[in-house]
Amino acid sequence: MAMNLTRRNLLKTASLAAASVPLSKVVAKAETGIAKVPLIPPGSFKKTKTVTGGVCEMCFWRCQLVGKVRDNRLIKLEGNPKSIDNGLNLCARGNSGIKLVYDPDRLKYPMKNIGKRGAPKWKKISWEEALDTCAAKLQATIDKYGPKGIGVWYHGASAHYPTAYFEYLGVPNMYEPAFYQCRGQTAMAMMQTLGFVPNEDVDMANSKAMLLVGCHLGENIHLSHVKNFLKGLENGSKLVVVDPRFSASAAKAHIWVKIKPGTDTAFLLGLMNYMLGKGCYNKSFVDKHCLGLNKLKTHVAEWSIEKTAKECDIPGKQIVEVAELLCEHAPHVAVHPGRHAAWYGNDFQRVRANACLTALLGAIDCPGGIVQIKRMSTGHVHWPKVEHEEDPEDMALAEMEEKYPFRPPGTPPELMRETMVTGKPYPIKSMVIWGTNSIKTMPNQEETMKALANMDFIMVTDVSPTDITMWADILLPEACYLERYDHIEKGTQWNQSDKPQQFVAARMPLVEPMFERKDSVWMINELARRMGHEKDIPVKNQEEFVDHMLKEADLSIAKLRKLDGIYIQEGESPYLKKGDEPEFGTDSGKIELYSEAMDDEDFPPLPTYTRTEEPPKGYARMIYGRSPVHTFNRTANNAWLSREVPENPLWLNDESAKKMGIKDGDRVSLENQAGKRSAGSTVVKVTPGIRKDCVFIAHGFGTFNPAMTVGYNKGIDDNSLNTKINREGETGISGMRINFVRIIKNGKTINIPG
Amino acid sequence: MQYGMIIDLDRCVGCHACAVACRAEWEIPIQYARNWLRRLGPANTPHGLAATYYPGLCNHCQQPACVEVCPADPVNMTFKDAKTGKTKTMEVAATWKDPFNGTVQIDKKRCIGCGACADACPYGARYVNPDLADDDSEGKADKCTYCMPRVATGLQPACVQTCLAEARIFGDLDDPNSNVAKYVKKGAVGLTSKNVQIGPNTRYIGNKKDMALLMTQAPQEMPEANLRRTMLADMLKPVGRQMKNIGLAGLAGTLLVKTLAEDEKE
Repeated sequence: MAMNLTRRNLLKTASLAAASVPLSKVVAKAETGIAKVPLIPPGSFKKTKTVTGGVCEMCFWRCQLVGKVRDNRLIKLEGNPKSIDNGLNLCARGNSGIKLVYDPDRLKYPMKNIGKRGAPKWKKISWEEALDTCAAKLQATIDKYGPKGIGVWYHGASAHYPTAYFEYLGVPNMYEPAFYQCRGQTAMAMMQTLGFVPNEDVDMANSKAMLLVGCHLGENIHLSHVKNFLKGLENGSKLVVVDPRFSASAAKAHIWVKIKPGTDTAFLLGLMNYMLGKGCYNKSFVDKHCLGLNKLKTHVAEWSIEKTAKECDIPGKQIVEVAELLCEHAPHVAVHPGRHAAWYGNDFQRVRANACLTALLGAIDCPGGIVQIKRMSTGHVHWPKVEHEEDPEDMALAEMEEKYPFRPPGTPPELMRETMVTGKPYPIKSMVIWGTNSIKTMPNQEETMKALANMDFIMVTDVSPTDITMWADILLPEACYLERYDHIEKGTQWNQSDKPQQFVAARMPLVEPMFERKDSVWMINELARRMGHEKDIPVKNQEEFVDHMLKEADLSIAKLRKLDGIYIQEGESPYLKKGDEPEFGTDSGKIELYSEAMDDEDFPPLPTYTRTEEPPKGYARMIYGRSPVHTFNRTANNAWLSREVPENPLWLNDESAKKMGIKDGDRVSLENQAGKRSAGSTVVKVTPGIRKDCVFIAHGFGTFNPAMTVGYNKGIDDNSLNTKINREGETGISGMRINFVRIIKNGKTINIPG
Repeated sequence: MQYGMIIDLDRCVGCHACAVACRAEWEIPIQYARNWLRRLGPANTPHGLAATYYPGLCNHCQQPACVEVCPADPVNMTFKDAKTGKTKTMEVAATWKDPFNGTVQIDKKRCIGCGACADACPYGARYVNPDLADDDSEGKADKCTYCMPRVATGLQPACVQTCLAEARIFGDLDDPNSNVAKYVKKGAVGLTSKNVQIGPNTRYIGNKKDMALLMTQAPQEMPEANLRRTMLADMLKPVGRQMKNIGLAGLAGTLLVKTLAEDEKE
């Protein structure tokens, strides 16, 4: 028979082919997730049942899904045809959800660590034993130190009920990385300036110009947001991308501003100075709605084109070009507010500058601008309010230390970690970690490990054995987003110029959880019972939890089921009608270019640029961002996604690479300014598309828990190299683009020429 | 009728959803892909700095190199035009180009898993899955079908349906009013080169710099195996047609030995 030896050799090296038993001979087995490969696959559309009601959580954009189910097995996910948000579309991650459901590495049973924290040995235990232990240990901490002796790190919709319970217990220490180090900072700075939180409600689709400062839409795939962006481009909107790197957005830009990292605030001040000097800003809007114009004008006067160009290392005429473009199209300019802002430790001021620029253009509540989208409201589930010996609000660490007045809700992460280490101002001795891989979110991992080592007890709940689970004493397996009820998604049609509609969708399971996985309402109620709070339990189960929240919108799970998972009603345009005036929720009721409140707290009341430290000789700044097929480390173990993008290539400037003798595809690891080396390695992408003073890698790689067999040790964990911290006074949030690296190839350290 | 697909690089954001939706729809084992996405650049092109993507799949070519090399026993097969109901009977091996819709398809039941087609394709669009080996084969060849079973029920191909950018457009290239035909008029082209001109029906459109970068991915030569396989396959065909090829047998043998030796070196 004719042979194809090339193919055979290839297969010999393909790790997955090592499973030598032909899959066709393996009996389909739901438990292991190994299914028989059919000779002629029937397709997802034949002999399947369509289950509605899914809400995605592969990322936080929460697209609405349907599942195709055959023989009780989920075989495909698709966008819900009723969705006015994502429609039939899903991104790569959304499509890969079923590989999370059937991931053989997932947590299956409650387990007890009989080894050490950080080097665990797991023993399967019963739910009875797991819950008894957690209840006894947490209660012991409360008895000895009060509720303030407990700390909670949490993430996601499944943590809403647990955090409500710990608040009821009087626990003041709660940190959610996804908010605190991501949107929270942007939200607070916007709030302080505009009096509302725009999130990312920016009407790119109907803009005439767009300004993205550091946003890399396209690598950051939030589905309807990217549709919105692409619609803008389709409609002829002129795109300006400010980034040290030729990102996916920059590749589609009309103007790419190849800015020096850390100088974005100077750039924004330079733009404002030009606009104010030329008088080409939106005068009528500013006169009516802004406070402190003259102060701002004086304040930014030093940012001449020449000075700005020099500081940002960009051509002066480009600044003029951008400023003219934005003014020409005002107010229909989408100045993107940004999302993750914790870059340099002076970021609150940058977001304020962004908000002020938006205000100068009057790009608010009009087509193309920031819009206040009107969504339906739903209710909350609360535990009863009870009196505590110590008021949890007074016990909040930032409050006690009179620090970080503009912080997002919650406890500043490093402040909590310091307290865990020092025991000051009071001991925190038990940790509850719910669905967050916090070892990968806070800079300086050694400090996190030190803090965890100091605990009397650590309880971790998660879906997968993420890195942080290695520090658990008791590890609880949670049902994943396709197997449980929790989140209520509320939104509108994705394009604000389309017929206004509002929708509500509740997350409902598409399949039953396997093994001994449980939902958070069940877990918390069982814990509460054991801690003597049975009488205060507000909802019996997850269905009741969701029904309770839906009630405010006169909806229920039963009603939503009949509606194929999504309720839709007539909405309201976010654009101001003729004669209507915008409203701003600041103290003054106006947009505060100058902030009295910030002055009162001894912070610069006008957006102020502070220089960030330069890389030492031989090092480049490590900047990080997203990979379009991964949600940080959460998806690292997903077999389909890992196949698409297994690691995070290191972007290195081509001229630097030449001098260093490094070629595209070389395998390297990194060493930071403190001598900390990355555990893993990655390939180099040699490109003219990045400046010489920085290198780039996507965040979330370099999983170090060997139980994550797909993601383990793939790529470089950027956060492991974030040992230096620069915390800003406004919020207590640390910038994470202030570490510098050089390259290690074949064991040899190679300096990066500046 | 000729089905074709347009990929609009001005819209594509490189999210890989196409590749994954295809994998889910057709239960593609992890080692293989019918649909892939390569991230290109940033790199300098004659038209400026560019970064784009190569979303690839079977091109359902006008002159498919994979079809003629198939050595499986030919059978008579009757094809039916989905629109008019007209039929046509042709002698085909285990892979063929449909005379009515222009797609290239495989009969997996008759495929012998030899890999000739996979070797012949300059785009690497086919693979052979040895896990599907049975008594009559070493495995089964597989590739993109343009989702014909989905299309037959009125659905879009899985990759098209999931594409958030609406960067993939599917339709009949022969229908001048179709969107795909309009894109061809606007300049959508296949991935071809001087020596590889087999009429790909998956076509790409985008700005100059992105297209320049994409074209670096066009195969530059027809696979050498193609020639070898074509000759071997021809020799295996019924005696009457074989006669004219006898003189080629020696050459084919030499080529076969040479290539096998090279394969071993790898």
